[in-house]
Amino acid sequence: MASSTSLRLVLSSEVRLIDLIHQSAEKVAQLAGFDEDEALNIGLAVREGAINAIVHGNRSDPNLEVNITLRASDEGFSAHITDEGEGFDPDAAPDPTEEDNLLATSGRGMLLMRAFVDDIVYSRREARGMEVTMTKRRTTG
Amino acid sequence: MKVGVRNIGHVAVVDLAGKITIGEGDVVLREKVNELFDGGQQHVLLNLEKVSYMDSAGIGELVACYKRAKEKGGTVKLLNPSGKVFDLLQLTKLEEVFETYRDEKEALVSF
Repeated sequence: MASSTSLRLVLSSEVRLIDLIHQSAEKVAQLAGFDEDEALNIGLAVREGAINAIVHGNRSDPNLEVNITLRASDEGFSAHITDEGEGFDPDAAPDPTEEDNLLATSGRGMLLMRAFVDDIVYSRREARGMEVTMTKRRTTG
Repeated sequence: MKVGVRNIGHVAVVDLAGKITIGEGDVVLREKVNELFDGGQQHVLLNLEKVSYMDSAGIGELVACYKRAKEKGGTVKLLNPSGKVFDLLQLTKLEEVFETYRDEKEALVSF
């Protein structure tokens, strides 16, 4: 495979585009050499990142953009997602698996992301909004 | 997502097929279960055998159904979650919340 292949999506903040993002991420994960099940997991992680950006970050305002870069390389898969919202502190999010939080109807997105990729880095953008980078390494050997 | 309902005794079995995800499956699930509760049904068995996966919004809607049933004095239980759906229930520890069955007859007599 060439050193890397990437796909960049610039999207208005519409929930109906989330399936497209998920499907794109699954395809790029397959290009990186992940099997069907692993690619679905990676797609789910990116899907949750996209939900955070579109729904929670940009509050589904179609005038605000979400930028997503999906990359397949020899090392594996990565996704970089930015929004234009208020931003948030990921360390302040409650643990949805704590007994008191089990009946919450939201707040599980980051848990799913953590489960399905190896690394996630959150940071606030200089301008406005959040950026999230997630990576999934191909196991060698 | 496709949804069908079978009324067996005092239990509504809701057969779901597809994916329970934001803006689509979660809405279908909410509307169908609300319709059942509004119609006086109290006991719902969600058949997840043909659900391929859920996202956080779909999982949240499952919990919302459970809570609405409790408010009405009823129950929502799960039947046959598929591999990926079962993994998600374990990951989120919702297997501790929902009674889950592999056999429909066994599930029906548990209500």
